[in-house]
Amino acid sequence: MTRSVRQKESRSLRLYAWLLDLYPPAFVQRHRAEMLQNFADLEDAEPSKAKLWLLIGKDLTMSLILQFFGSRLGRYVISVLVAWLLIFTVGYFRRDSTPGYPLLHVFGGFLPGMLAMYIATRLLGMPQNKSQIIYVIGILGAVAGFAWILLFLIGYFPGGGTPAVRNPALQVFGGFLIGMLSMFIATHVYGMPQNSSQA
Amino acid sequence: MERGGGPAGVSVIALDYIRYGYIMGDMNKPTAPLPLTPAVFHILLALFGKERHGYDIMQQVKADSGDAVKMGPGTLYGSLDRMIEAGLVAQGDTQDPRRIYYRLTALGRSTLRAETERLSRVALVARRQLGSA
Repeated sequence: MTRSVRQKESRSLRLYAWLLDLYPPAFVQRHRAEMLQNFADLEDAEPSKAKLWLLIGKDLTMSLILQFFGSRLGRYVISVLVAWLLIFTVGYFRRDSTPGYPLLHVFGGFLPGMLAMYIATRLLGMPQNKSQIIYVIGILGAVAGFAWILLFLIGYFPGGGTPAVRNPALQVFGGFLIGMLSMFIATHVYGMPQNSSQA
Repeated sequence: MERGGGPAGVSVIALDYIRYGYIMGDMNKPTAPLPLTPAVFHILLALFGKERHGYDIMQQVKADSGDAVKMGPGTLYGSLDRMIEAGLVAQGDTQDPRRIYYRLTALGRSTLRAETERLSRVALVARRQLGSA
């Protein structure tokens, strides 16, 4: 079996090729062919798929973090995290030792929300025109509305008297949406990381 | 390798280390700022005396480090981009349609020598300390 045939048949290689799109476009453009070739060589040399993916998973995580936090968008995320830290610090001194559970819940949703939007934008591409932007915001709004309805339908508020906004699940979910929206705006203002020399 | 004193100087060095793995500053000096990150040091070592392509570099790094440093493609090409920008490494002359070869530059060789000397001095101090304990 020739290498080219084997490469075509390898699911791992196809998955790796897909994951390469998480890197900045300029970096992928420069190194895609070589990285795929190296992956194929690693796959040939490593009998254990688990060990191979352990190495690749670690490599992807570390190199993506470096690429991301060196970019303008990455610096925006750092500044957002610092802002959260300041909010917690102010809360710590003003409202006793806990800055208040609502904030923690919202923060718990905010981070994965940002990450989810970043990955989605990286893999699916940025909306290019006004109608696509409205479409994305519409989707976010629809998901939020659906979640509210769902929470009521499953009887999350059996008492009926609890204001919905105080519900922890809703606070987390609200944070998630705010995180997504924040990242959506940031990617339009700062753009996605473009090349590795920014990292 | 003077980079200015005071908190501003320290923060610049710290930022360089975090952002560039300590290889991007002071390009006009005979060596890049030391210490190097393990990844950069091992890539320089792997390329010493021989042009290599990416997979070959990864295998050589693994062998040189006794399996301690296992580098994946993302780390390797991210480091190579920064090292090329810093003038430590350049694309080689070997023609291969499937591979790109890399080679050390003069700055890369002098940096590798300087880092090796530095590590030797550190090892000497460590041996002395351990011997006296």
